[in-house]
Amino acid sequence: MSAAFLQVRGLTRRWSPGAKPVFENVSFALERGEFVCIIGHSGCGKTTILNILAGLDEASGGEVIMDGREVSGPSLDRGVVFQGHALMPWLTVRRNIGFAVKSRWPDWNREKVGAHCQKYIDLVRLTGNEDKKPSALSGGMKQRVGIARAFAIQPKMLLLDEPFGALDALTRGAIQDELTSICAETHQTVFMITHDVDEAILLADKILLMTNGPQARIAEIVVNTLPRVRSRHDIHHHPHYYRLRNHLVDFLVHRSKLLQEGREDEAANERLPRVVMPGLADHEIVPGEAAERVPALKQVK
Amino acid sequence: MSLFRNPFDGETNLTCACGRHSTQAEHDVDAEKLSRQALENAVMRSLFPKDAERRRFIRSVGAGTASAAIASLFPFGALEAMAQDKGKVEKKDLKVGFIPITCATPLIMSAPLGFYEKQGLNVSLVKTAGWALIRDKTMNKEYDASHLLAPMPLAISLGVGSGAMPMQVATIQNSNGQAITLAMKHKDKRDPKQWKGFKFAVPFEFSMHNFLLRYYVAEHGLDPDKDIQIRVVPPPEMVANLRAGNLDGYLGPDPFNQRAVYDQVGFIHLLTKDLWDGHPCCSFGVRSEWVKEHPNTFAALYRAILNAAAMAANPANRSTIANAIAPANYLNQPVPVLEQVLTGKYADGLGNVKNVPNRIEFDPVPWNALGVWILSQMKRWGYLKGDVKYRDIVDQVYLMTDAKKRMKEEGILAPADMPKKIVVMGKSFDASKPDAYVNSFAIRRT
Amino acid sequence: MSVRARSAILSLLLLAVFLAAWHLATLPRAESGASVDPEYAKLMGLDKPKSDGMPTPAQLAGTAWKQLSDPFYDAGSNDKGIGIQLAYSLGRVGLGFGLAALVAIPLGFLIGLSPLAYGALNPFIQVLKPISPLAWMPLALYTIKDSTISSIFVIFICSIWPMLINTAHGVASVRRDWLNVAKTLEAGTVRTAFQVILPAAAPTILTGMRISMGIAWLVIVAAEMLVGNLGVGYFVWNEWNNLSLSNVIFAIGVIGVVGMLLDLAFGALQRAVTYVE
Repeated sequence: MSAAFLQVRGLTRRWSPGAKPVFENVSFALERGEFVCIIGHSGCGKTTILNILAGLDEASGGEVIMDGREVSGPSLDRGVVFQGHALMPWLTVRRNIGFAVKSRWPDWNREKVGAHCQKYIDLVRLTGNEDKKPSALSGGMKQRVGIARAFAIQPKMLLLDEPFGALDALTRGAIQDELTSICAETHQTVFMITHDVDEAILLADKILLMTNGPQARIAEIVVNTLPRVRSRHDIHHHPHYYRLRNHLVDFLVHRSKLLQEGREDEAANERLPRVVMPGLADHEIVPGEAAERVPALKQVK
Repeated sequence: MSLFRNPFDGETNLTCACGRHSTQAEHDVDAEKLSRQALENAVMRSLFPKDAERRRFIRSVGAGTASAAIASLFPFGALEAMAQDKGKVEKKDLKVGFIPITCATPLIMSAPLGFYEKQGLNVSLVKTAGWALIRDKTMNKEYDASHLLAPMPLAISLGVGSGAMPMQVATIQNSNGQAITLAMKHKDKRDPKQWKGFKFAVPFEFSMHNFLLRYYVAEHGLDPDKDIQIRVVPPPEMVANLRAGNLDGYLGPDPFNQRAVYDQVGFIHLLTKDLWDGHPCCSFGVRSEWVKEHPNTFAALYRAILNAAAMAANPANRSTIANAIAPANYLNQPVPVLEQVLTGKYADGLGNVKNVPNRIEFDPVPWNALGVWILSQMKRWGYLKGDVKYRDIVDQVYLMTDAKKRMKEEGILAPADMPKKIVVMGKSFDASKPDAYVNSFAIRRT
Repeated sequence: MSVRARSAILSLLLLAVFLAAWHLATLPRAESGASVDPEYAKLMGLDKPKSDGMPTPAQLAGTAWKQLSDPFYDAGSNDKGIGIQLAYSLGRVGLGFGLAALVAIPLGFLIGLSPLAYGALNPFIQVLKPISPLAWMPLALYTIKDSTISSIFVIFICSIWPMLINTAHGVASVRRDWLNVAKTLEAGTVRTAFQVILPAAAPTILTGMRISMGIAWLVIVAAEMLVGNLGVGYFVWNEWNNLSLSNVIFAIGVIGVVGMLLDLAFGALQRAVTYVE
């Protein structure tokens, strides 16, 4: 664990000193190349956690260590895709990406920047739209530009704040596929917020489940036991799929609230969230730390 | 009356008001000579107010000696330069402010008639929107010299109504030339006693207009501060306000009295000449400091204006002048209006043609008695409080008094008053007893 | 017929009615002055046809033609063509407005970036903003002691507020997202200011500039009338002095047209920097 690429330890955030924390004692870790989703209801502090990872917000307590160094302030090492795409509406697609590229490599000349931009525009399949302003693009296209911009700076880690929330199902599916393939290609480490259980199952290697706020925390780390190469079309045929999905939905519908209310006695004996693998059938459970905790979970259920 | 006759000619009768006569050999209008003569003339008159004495003096010492004696006693501070040879002007390009009214005639006509040029000056005349503004621009040194209302240099020097700054009156621009204009609807109310509640306009608080209007209504038993309203209105707006009915009348500068008649919105109730024949109106003022810094320039400017005043004083030239000052660059008025003002042959607005050749006159000498009268009215109406050192103030402002002081130093008789007595509406003014004069009025603010 | 064509015809019709009414209202009245003494009539200028102030449309057109056919004549220090007068006014407006922009935009930037400064300075701005520009004139004349600089100062002081407030507001309300993008990309302060905040706030700033320019143009005319420096305001005053309404009306028209052109220019600039989100 100590060698993990990103380590988050005991993260707490209060809006003002003495106030109830939005979340507290949030700890988790990301391995290099891992895709992690975080799920939780609004107000549990998901975006705040992401902002702290991005260096845009500061924790009231705890620490974030990435690649052996403590995170303080924003950095080009972490690319962010914002919820509302955050493209600069006065710049064309090319120049929006170019702004990022020029930030990453200030010494590059115009041609080099242009070529680099083009590569990522092609990657997100926006070829032909280089000179359009964001207002002339559909929601999905805008978000693709946002993704291209984040990828273009070749960050060590990508932070995605609910990037597909505002998109229709079809578009979302298409971009999810693209994201999957790009990540597979680049072995990008990704931390992503989502509300969408299916999205999490499709994309994530691990899914962090947060209880409701205030005083939210990470209740469980769900390991996605589905094979890494997944397709939206047949994923639901996999035997793990519904077990995993039911577990997540159940968490969101019932347990996230119950856990918040009954948090004190539970929190007292838990420093780290339980790691669970609900995708596995009971007989498939491998011995180890995770296996120990599964019954405890079931009790709560 | 002309001041431009040779005062050293023993045979000349200076009290005579007729034009230049043939016995005067030198009839030239050379600028230097003219101005020197005007001043020497004034000095002579001051020294010997009685003609007989003056003639006796000249006969006993000879005209040349008298001239030399006077010249030696002619130091006038900065005016010295004028008596000497033409000095090199310190500043060639001058900015002179004026208000577009006929009072500014000598100052304006010097430009189109080339008097400034002749003195080696390049004067740009700057039309200015109002008296407060011209005061500020003069005090701010934007203008080298300015057309000011006769009371303004006194008020500015005293710091009444503005910051204090020593000013000097080089010449009086004009005398008479103002009028009381009433709206047509009042053509049957010619008795001021019927004017209770009237709204009148004057161009500025420290103006002869204000003082004369107050004097006039007060003589008819109206208190100018209670029975009528007096407002300060820029002259061009007087006509429009009269037309709109916002004003019942005004005591304003020409051509705006004649303009009201011309535009058929008012009639001339009376000319200010009928209140006080020979009253000063506007002056040509400079900052004392400027005079000290530019004595030769000042002298040159002075000569040009005296020359113009001399020309303007001659009724034969008045039509020419009307045409010279009418264009948009100067007064921007119809020639017929200006002609009526300057020639004195005018329509009164009630269907009569009047002929008053001295409707406006151009006597340039700033007699100190005039200043004292102005101060007495400032005191009377409460603009000045407490003890007023009339003579001291006027001495500092009106350049004639400078001469007087020097004469005193030389042990020469102090000059008496100006030859033409100050008589306002039949009441004489004794400049040596201004406070008694102030206290003799029933209506006053003291 | 399209609505557009019909409204154009209606506009022309209204104009024609207006001109006809104007013409009829201003026709010189026949004087019943047969009994007047001819000498008196001559002095009153009644021997020749004389309009009593309000010009007819034809007279106004004549005046306009005369002025516009020779806009740059120079007949002395107080009598210059309308083109020269306009140049004086525009020069003053440009100088005062330019200086105001030079001060207001950087200052507004700083105020907009700091909520503390915004809160602290806002009360002063709110008090100073509504002061009638011309109320500054006496103070300016007294302290600056130069009428030209004073009128430029008055332009400056009245055009600074809308620009300052709009810049501060525009900068303060730049979307957090864009600033966050800049931060995560480690864009420096200068780069963020010029490439993110400035273009983001530009439409708001331009709105402020447009308002300011409108005010400046209103003020210069009044200031010149008051102070009497050469310029369109002076032109109006000088013709008012002569009670020449036809020149005054002509000048009003010119002031209106130039004001409109200035507004259009700023409108175009505004459109150029406006973005659709």
